[in-house]
Amino acid sequence: MQALTDNALMLKVKTGDLDKMGLLYERHKKRLFGFFYNMNQNASLSEDLVQNVFVRMLKYKHTFTGEGSFAAWMFRTARNVNYDHFRKNKNSRFQEDVSSLQYRGNEMELEEEIDKKESVVQLNLALQRLPEDKREVLLLSKFRELKFSEIGEILGCSEGAAKVKAHRALKELRSVFLQLENKEL
Amino acid sequence: MKEEVFENKAIAYLSGRMEDKEKQEFEVFLKDNGAFQIQFEQLQNSWAQLDSLEVPEPSERMDTSFYSMLYEEQDKAKKKVGFASQIRDFMVSLWRPQFAYGLALLAIGLAIGFFLRAPIDNPVQQSPEVVDSETETVREQLVLTLLEQPSANKRLQGINEANKIQKVDETVIRALLQTLNSDPNVNVRLAAIESLTNYLDNPIVREGLVQSIVSQESPIVQVTLANLMVALQEKKSIEPFKKLIRSKSLDSSVKKKLESSIQQII
Repeated sequence: MQALTDNALMLKVKTGDLDKMGLLYERHKKRLFGFFYNMNQNASLSEDLVQNVFVRMLKYKHTFTGEGSFAAWMFRTARNVNYDHFRKNKNSRFQEDVSSLQYRGNEMELEEEIDKKESVVQLNLALQRLPEDKREVLLLSKFRELKFSEIGEILGCSEGAAKVKAHRALKELRSVFLQLENKEL
Repeated sequence: MKEEVFENKAIAYLSGRMEDKEKQEFEVFLKDNGAFQIQFEQLQNSWAQLDSLEVPEPSERMDTSFYSMLYEEQDKAKKKVGFASQIRDFMVSLWRPQFAYGLALLAIGLAIGFFLRAPIDNPVQQSPEVVDSETETVREQLVLTLLEQPSANKRLQGINEANKIQKVDETVIRALLQTLNSDPNVNVRLAAIESLTNYLDNPIVREGLVQSIVSQESPIVQVTLANLMVALQEKKSIEPFKKLIRSKSLDSSVKKKLESSIQQII
């Protein structure tokens, strides 16, 4: 039996079959969590934001028409959730970054991690230093198995514009990363 | 190739979202354009570097929070449905009385129509048995009431009413026998005898009449009973009559009548 598409599931949710939201959650929870984690480097916060995305999708389920892709709609919601969170918590951003380090430190000693994966840390730092919109388009195009047409839908631009944005974000990431490496030297 | 077109194709190539034919064309372009080739390789390294970014597994807390939220939403939805059904029930309840009233009015209309039509085609009559039964019950109560009245006229009226009863109740018979034995008025007692003669088939009546012979002091009542016993050829009455004859207070003419009657019965 062919599994229901995301769109079909969401349309069922829209008509009141809320159980289907559980299936969508299982399909997309890691993608969403990864997106948020790459955006803010805070696992605990990312979990909360994933939750907020599904709460918001339930709240605004009536706005899902099924014409675009569910993934695009979901990531557009995720993007709004992320913006809303940091707009409300501008002052706590630094603390969240610190708590993120603590979280990771619990899994692996931070020092050891820096030794072993210095370049990864630098890459993370470079990513965090990117403007949010560039970090966002880069992560969406790299990890989230989205077509550029869908990314364009999420960002509210054309497919071509989304590609250009992604390209320029990758270019800037490289630039920031190299700057960090030069500082280390 | 314009810079923007290159940016477009490069990211499409890197993200693996390019058709094979287009891919080959782009690779040929890069070979022929060294500057773009270098730029592309740098981007390719950074793109590949992104794969090293680690993402931890979300904790079970995330699942727990999500499903708690989902169940809560489902409960809310059910309550909303409950509320909606309450409204629907309310609307139905508004409609139901109207429907019921409608049905009731229809039924009343049909009933009125039926009864108005009934005398023409199918006269509704209570069966004579029912009517008689009801009338006789009322009449029996009337008899019993009238026989207890102090007025002799009322008691006579009661006896007359008793005469109209087809099948008297035992209570009425005993009331009539009581009147025969103890009523102070001779006319009433005579009327009681006359009334009781309507029920001579009843053994209680015959027995009662026989027994009342000795208790009668009025000559006219004694003679009436004697005539009745002769007519009935009631042999049980001989002994009470003989007893009465032996009584010193008995009128002589009545005594002769009784002796004659005994002879006729024997």
